[in-house]
Amino acid sequence: MQFRLEKRREPSRLMSYITPFAAVLLTMVLGTVIFSLIGYDGLGAVREIFLTPLTNSYKWQDLGIKAAPLIIIGTGLSIAYRANVWNIGAEGQYVIGGLAGTGIALLTYGMTGWWILPLMVLAGILGGMAYAAIPAFLRTRLNVNEILTSLMLTYASVQLIYYLIRAPWKDPMGMGFPQTRLFSEAARLPTIIPGTIVHLGVPIAVIVGIVAWFIMTRSVFGYRMRVVGAAPHAARYGGFSENKTIWLAMLVSGGLAGLAGVLEVAGPFQRMVPGFPTNYGFTAIIVAFLGRLNPLGVIVAGVVLAITFVGGEVAQTTIGLPNAATGIFQAMMLFFLLAGDILIKYRLRRVSPQPSVGAA
Amino acid sequence: MELTLAILITVVGASTPILIAALGELVVERAGVLNLGVEGMMLIGAIAGFVVQFHTGNPYLALLCGAAAGTAASLIFGFLTLSLSANQTATGLALTIFGTGFSALAGSSYSARPVTLMQPLFPADLATHPVLRVIFGYSFPVYFSFVMVVAIWYFLHKTRAGLILRAVGENDQSAHSIGYSVIGVRYLAVMFGGAMAGLAGACFPLLLTPQWAERMTAGRGWIAVALVVFASWKPFRLLGGAYLFGLVMTMELYAKAGGGPLSAVPSELWAALPYLATVVVLVLISIRRDASTNAPACLGKPFLPAN
Repeated sequence: MQFRLEKRREPSRLMSYITPFAAVLLTMVLGTVIFSLIGYDGLGAVREIFLTPLTNSYKWQDLGIKAAPLIIIGTGLSIAYRANVWNIGAEGQYVIGGLAGTGIALLTYGMTGWWILPLMVLAGILGGMAYAAIPAFLRTRLNVNEILTSLMLTYASVQLIYYLIRAPWKDPMGMGFPQTRLFSEAARLPTIIPGTIVHLGVPIAVIVGIVAWFIMTRSVFGYRMRVVGAAPHAARYGGFSENKTIWLAMLVSGGLAGLAGVLEVAGPFQRMVPGFPTNYGFTAIIVAFLGRLNPLGVIVAGVVLAITFVGGEVAQTTIGLPNAATGIFQAMMLFFLLAGDILIKYRLRRVSPQPSVGAA
Repeated sequence: MELTLAILITVVGASTPILIAALGELVVERAGVLNLGVEGMMLIGAIAGFVVQFHTGNPYLALLCGAAAGTAASLIFGFLTLSLSANQTATGLALTIFGTGFSALAGSSYSARPVTLMQPLFPADLATHPVLRVIFGYSFPVYFSFVMVVAIWYFLHKTRAGLILRAVGENDQSAHSIGYSVIGVRYLAVMFGGAMAGLAGACFPLLLTPQWAERMTAGRGWIAVALVVFASWKPFRLLGGAYLFGLVMTMELYAKAGGGPLSAVPSELWAALPYLATVVVLVLISIRRDASTNAPACLGKPFLPAN
């Protein structure tokens, strides 16, 4: 008995909803096996990484603040990837957004006023947009591949942090540590639930996701993004300029990455430190795909990835699993998801005796 | 003179891993496949090479295991993109994320443990004079990379197998209809790319810094991918490109040693320079018009036989 892949007449919507969940489940099952085989407590690892953050209510606030930047960046990326614009430099745009916010916070140091925080947020969004504008410009004017340029700029942005906090922005009272001073009260993101670390960025993330969903499903902008990605020829025929779409996709994804950056620096960090680039920009790529490039899906996927981050820290302390294991689980999810994609366009058909072509 | 020679040797060391990885990716892309997982495969090769060198002290075995580990990693990519026609861009990214995590996990108990660097290939008597040292003073991977430039050029342009590989990359449907196995050829190319990336990764602990550090390849795999575009998919141009980048990467040393106004440039700018140079180079190459027309016609597109 053998199986053969047969093309579906239409892509299966059902499969596109089922496969992300299947990918997470398969990761848990196979993760248990693999981590047991290489000598760790596989079952414990999966339990701590995927379940403890959910069952332990003390961890919920961590989930919220880890999910927020992932959802904000992932939403932007989902819009860009829909349009086939491969911005993979969100980490760099996040960094520049954070630096732009830091700049405002340091300029207004010691001042008070409600306007400081909105100004920082604005600077963060503009910073992210400006940094994404470089690959957008190069792609639209000179046809330079945006994958490579956006990624190279990420590496450069990290060096910019190191330079700024080592020299011009260094905390004068920092005892030589390369970091900026602690932001004054007016430049810190308020917490919304007293006694927790849940800051304003968490509801903002949910709002960003929902608004993006409305825009993507109910507006000309969303229609443009989807058509240009799915059927570039038809889009050109219909009068949607490809270059304008690339610009929009890069600016939206860059702006949102910048927003995430400024919320992170004003929220959990409250100063710029060398450890500010926390790979949210890269993990958000997984979030965007796991959420099926749908902003509502991205909210769910952001929480799932946040679970693995928080759970990874738990597993580190409880069963001594190295933190790097989290990255493996996250990559496995993406692998399974991509592998499952074939079930959207094809179905498995059982073929009995005929000579089979196999899964070609 | 002495300083110039020292710099030259450093440049060769910095260029070699990029050249090897880029040569592998060149073959992969010539077969019509875009594998963005080079950075991940290099990291997997780096940790495999390090672990073997640490336990056996045999650098040749370490290089071999690095290449084997890279090949194994490339098979994940191959299976997903070739057998299951998954999106190549996304799968390549996933492979890099996986390689970063895998190497960090495998290396977590090896931090701050030194290994011995690979010895030069030729006996020390040959390399006594500084000028002779520039010719005979390197270890095996350096000579290997030069040989591979010629070998890959020869393979692609002078052999039947190379012709088939290029046909698969330029027009997969025709190659399929003549009776060549598009998927088979692409599997072989992807595995070759994985072996080269893994070997290139193993060069980091064996040639450059004799220890394991997380993300020690520091984006060099991505630069290798960019270099293939820069070289318009031609092996000899790749040689030039890799050495240009090796020079950029070692400029910091040169500036610091030379004194003068260059030594006042912040070290972070020097560290960012290779990445910024990559952007500049990609811009220059796209201004020169022939670049994109040289790309294999089927690059990045999944193959589905039209029956």
